[in-house]
Amino acid sequence: QGLKPLVPTESPAPIFGTSKPPSVLPATEPFLGKNKVPDLQKIFQRSDGLLVHLKGGAPDRMLYRTTMALTIGGITYCLIALYIASQPKNK
Amino acid sequence: MAHQAHSYHMVDPSPWPILGAAAALLTTSGLVMWFHYNNPYLLIIGLLSTSLVMFQWWRDIVRESTFQGHHTPTVQKGLRYGMVLFITSEAFFFLGFFWAFFHSSLAPTPELGGQWPPVGIQPLNPMDVPLLNTAILLASGVTVTWAHHSIMEANRKQGIQALALTVLLGCYFTALQAMEYYEAPFSIADSVYGSTFFVATGFHGLHVIIGTTFLLVCLLRLIKYHFTPTHHFGFEAAAWYWHFVDVVWLFLYITIYWWGS
Repeated sequence: QGLKPLVPTESPAPIFGTSKPPSVLPATEPFLGKNKVPDLQKIFQRSDGLLVHLKGGAPDRMLYRTTMALTIGGITYCLIALYIASQPKNK
Repeated sequence: MAHQAHSYHMVDPSPWPILGAAAALLTTSGLVMWFHYNNPYLLIIGLLSTSLVMFQWWRDIVRESTFQGHHTPTVQKGLRYGMVLFITSEAFFFLGFFWAFFHSSLAPTPELGGQWPPVGIQPLNPMDVPLLNTAILLASGVTVTWAHHSIMEANRKQGIQALALTVLLGCYFTALQAMEYYEAPFSIADSVYGSTFFVATGFHGLHVIIGTTFLLVCLLRLIKYHFTPTHHFGFEAAAWYWHFVDVVWLFLYITIYWWGS
């Protein structure tokens, strides 16, 4: 028997080699969003027979129809306006 | 299923070319209706349809390249030729306005008081905001090169920071020029001085806005992982265009702002 040590003699639990391996850690957020290109590549390479300008589905169709409507409406308006503009001015 | 025996891209049938032409018709007729009949509606429809066509056409090109893999090295070579030829055509466009400037300023007529700047015109001090604008564009040339090297070295964070800084510098230039336009003591109607000044710097400003937008689109694509360290031609095209815009400004600054003051 001897003097009781004031400081515990058994070494504290080792701190080296106790970190969780990277796969167990929560994934750190990639800078400004994650890479969705592989998913988009899958979508746009589907063999669904759709042309590239409509291959995104409903949003593409909406945008296409809006553009077409605006353009055709505009051309009609343009032809009417140019016809009126070409009439000689009434005295 | 038949596969192509060549490395070119035979694109899908697309409505954008003809709709783009229609939009151009609407925009030009719209300008006529606005100038001569004070009616802006056709012009608004024209500008709207032009924007829609541009958005969808370029969106489809991104789909064909990044998502479908059609941009082989052969295709990319063609795109490089195309961009070089386009920028060359733009250089000739500006050459015309520089010609007009020198035509009027090298031999000032009696109506101008036989001098340049003409009598009564108070030109802008080239050492004031114009010099700051020169520094801004030169700095943006450095930041866009920094962004390019970051992309080639797969350094995502730095690439995004450098490209974002480039876009901000572009916006800063535009804001300062807009303020200069507002505060200028002369207008476009002030003899041929006003015409040459505002048409040349005005078209340049429009190209700065176009270039800034192009760079902004590249920034968004960079954030979305579209570019690889070896394949990022969209970015290179934007950078070439931006350097062109910078060079045109340097010519404008030296000739119109400095020599012409």
